[in-house]
Amino acid sequence: MKGFKTLLWLEFRRNGIWAAILIGSLAFWAWGLFQVRLVEVSQQLEVRAILLVLASAIGAVVLALMIGRIRSETRGGQFQVLLLTPPSGYVHIAARYAFAVATAVVYYVAVGGLAWWTIAMSGLPLDAGSVAQLTLAVPFYGLGITVLPLLAWTLLLMVFIAAYRVSGPGWIPGTVMVLGTPFALRWLIEGIVRASYRLPGWHLFGGLEGAIRQAAAQSNGELDPIAVLPQEPLWIMLAVTAILLAIAGRIWQEVEG
Amino acid sequence: MTQAFLIVVRVLLVALVGFWAYRLWTGTRSWTTRFVGAFFSATLLWQIVAGTL
Repeated sequence: MKGFKTLLWLEFRRNGIWAAILIGSLAFWAWGLFQVRLVEVSQQLEVRAILLVLASAIGAVVLALMIGRIRSETRGGQFQVLLLTPPSGYVHIAARYAFAVATAVVYYVAVGGLAWWTIAMSGLPLDAGSVAQLTLAVPFYGLGITVLPLLAWTLLLMVFIAAYRVSGPGWIPGTVMVLGTPFALRWLIEGIVRASYRLPGWHLFGGLEGAIRQAAAQSNGELDPIAVLPQEPLWIMLAVTAILLAIAGRIWQEVEG
Repeated sequence: MTQAFLIVVRVLLVALVGFWAYRLWTGTRSWTTRFVGAFFSATLLWQIVAGTL
């Protein structure tokens, strides 16, 4: 436990600036959202939704770059020092992943908060349940199915490349994994689509039904944001994340041995 | 002609990925690393031989 805390502190020292810049960038996105002043409410919501999706996507890329900085450490010699430290490979992986996930949680919950602010600026009434879903349930669902597996994959990629640093060029493992992943991902997504909605779905924004129906009637019935999210993708992607992390930890452990 | 060209390209790609797989297998003593390398190499080979690549 002491080793984990020490490594977590090391992560904070190493990546704290990245995390601060990422979370600080939300001020820029908030400014951008505030600048959208179109007359039509639906257009306003559309543009702001695009900005929020963009903020989420850029956040995911920055987080992946942050957790993937192990490669530069290999060149700088820090990685070799880390391999010789007493904590196991699993603890190293857990600490690195925990710091990135903590940063991601703060960032995406804040993005959910910006979405709430956006809707409030548009004049749509939100009940407490919908606010909680918008600021907590939706960010955590999105994190679970996209960012957490992405971060675990990046970590595995970097550990996999680092495992070959003595024997040969790192570009072969990197190329094989990067090229092979889209095909493996396609099989995974096909499997998820087949498995979806076998369990009861999660209804979101049910408390807004009246307001949404009223808005839908005014815009010729085009608005239908009441979402029913399947729960299977979340469980499957969390399981994939756990498997990727376990493999990354195992590789670290074996390389150290 | 096109069919023959595609077959030649596929054979070359199989040879390239096969070489990569060999390097990944012999470049480490970690069995988990070998398993990961074999999985992604096999995915690529499957796509070249029987898939859409």
